[in-house]
Amino acid sequence: MTAVVRTEGLTKFYGDRRGLEDLDLEIRPGEVFGYLGPNGAGKTTTIRLILDVIRPTRGRVTVLGTDPRDARVRARIGYLPGELALEGRERARDYLAFLGGVRGGVSRERIDALAERLEADLSAPMGRLSKGNKQKVGLIQAFMHEPEFLILDEPTSGLDPLVQQEFLAMVREVRASGRTVLMSSHVLAEVENVSDRVGIVRAGRLVAVEDIAALREKAVRLVEFHFDAPVPREAFEGLAGVRDLRVEGASVRCTIDGRPDALVKAAARFTVVHMVSAEPDLEEIFLTYYSEEGGHHARAGV
Amino acid sequence: MPVLVSKSLRDYRRSLVGWTVGITAFFALYLSFYPSITKDPELYGRAALAKFPGAMRDLMGGLEDFTSGVGYLHSLVYQLFGPMLFVVCAAILGNRALAQPEESGTLELTVTLPVDRRRLVFERFAALALGLLGLAVVTFLAVWALSSAVDMNVAFDRILAGHTGILLLSLLFGTLALAVGAATGRRGIAMAVVGVVAVGGYVVESMGRNVDAISWLRWISPFHYYLDGRPLYQGFPTGDYLVLAGATVVLLLTAILAFDRRDVGV
Ligand SMILES: Nc1ncnc2c1ncn2[C@@H]1O[C@H](COP(=O)(O)OP(=O)(O)OP(=O)(O)O)[C@@H](O)[C@H]1O
Ligand SMILES: [Mg+2]
Repeated sequence: MTAVVRTEGLTKFYGDRRGLEDLDLEIRPGEVFGYLGPNGAGKTTTIRLILDVIRPTRGRVTVLGTDPRDARVRARIGYLPGELALEGRERARDYLAFLGGVRGGVSRERIDALAERLEADLSAPMGRLSKGNKQKVGLIQAFMHEPEFLILDEPTSGLDPLVQQEFLAMVREVRASGRTVLMSSHVLAEVENVSDRVGIVRAGRLVAVEDIAALREKAVRLVEFHFDAPVPREAFEGLAGVRDLRVEGASVRCTIDGRPDALVKAAARFTVVHMVSAEPDLEEIFLTYYSEEGGHHARAGV
Repeated sequence: MPVLVSKSLRDYRRSLVGWTVGITAFFALYLSFYPSITKDPELYGRAALAKFPGAMRDLMGGLEDFTSGVGYLHSLVYQLFGPMLFVVCAAILGNRALAQPEESGTLELTVTLPVDRRRLVFERFAALALGLLGLAVVTFLAVWALSSAVDMNVAFDRILAGHTGILLLSLLFGTLALAVGAATGRRGIAMAVVGVVAVGGYVVESMGRNVDAISWLRWISPFHYYLDGRPLYQGFPTGDYLVLAGATVVLLLTAILAFDRRDVGV
């Protein structure tokens, strides 16, 4: 199957400011791709290039198998801009009807259903909507025509936690129906639960692309056991995957790589009164991962 | 009607209604003075007008006669105020086509619609042209009705000729604003260009008649192709109007090519 997005050496300079340099990226059909990076990394630049809002300085990009200059391909894409501007007296409902019409027609029921899910107000003049409510209108217009490919630039910004959850559920539904999503964010935590793969950009360069599943395997987990009586250190030494072991009286702390099986079996020989296992912090792994493997690359790019 | 055209017209509706009411009221006010002026030829006749300084008379389009219907209508509506009001309205609408939504950020979503950029510019132009046409039709009917009501004795087709000129002139300036906006994305620049060309063009055309040093510049002033043929006195100056229309087409093509090749919103 052809890639949904393929870029080759994609580069954008704004005058002599670098926006993005030599991006080689492939987004596969049916995946949710999380696109991460700090402020000014080049996420929005990449997205605008994919949508032909701006033109590359060098390199190539194809979307859904065609050049993004071909306007027809944009009917198959849903786009939420990072800096969404909605203004004026026009009501969100009328604006959505207009956008839907240009994209080939969207039923009113569909718009209403999405509005209800996100608790969006479609009857107020758009200029008076709060930031979060504007963002909801932006999400509705991106999802409403059921596009094959959704490009969402910082979709959760301004949304309260409940709406964020609803939004993530919508992304999962899109994924379940075999469609593709590219979403950008500053933090892994926001995208890790829905993404299949994540890419990190820094200072205009792609420094890592990783499978979330593979990342989870590499996850380092902090574990604590509390027993009813002091335990001997030897009972926990040399267990597979156990590192940074600390035994203090009746408590044992360590980090584990991969499976906790050996540790749990060793602990089961004593009486456990309390146990703590912190969620693996992918963010940390990810950052260490690319500071080790891609670090020199990232630095060379600065 | 293409959906982008109707959408733009809906966006322009309030401002178009405002301009139509305003310009109609302005014309009506001036035309309503006409009967009292004809009653007092001494005060407003040729001799009286000759007392004004020459340069000022030139700027006002000669001020040859006020007391005939056609002279009054030309001097007060078709010489300066009518065209200028239309030009300002056209420039504002021309800016709303691209530059203003680009500056506010709303154009970003529009250019990601499945509409070719060239078509987007063309449809925004079509909306501008239709909006100005609506404004021209309503104000034309108002001038014609009022001029008959106060017995100005100006023929229907002469008023039509004058009004057509105003429409073409304003469409040219609206397209100029649209084109500068299409090329630069900055409405400040577009407004400045329209302002300089409109004021400069008017001064050059009106003063240039009697000042040889600048008279050659009249050929590049858009106002030349409206005022020189004296449409209210002599009917349609067809060749001149074709120049205005041709210049508009050139500007439109420039706008389409410029917008098609550049980055939006940077
Ligand atoms: N219009 C522009 N003119 C000049 N430089 C720009 C422009 N837009 C972006 N840049 C520069 O390009 C780089 C990448 O910007 P971009 O907006 O793509 O970052 P981002 O990853 O989306 O950041 P954020 O998380 O803050 O949205 C930055 O250094 C930025 O300063
Ligand atoms: Mg951004």
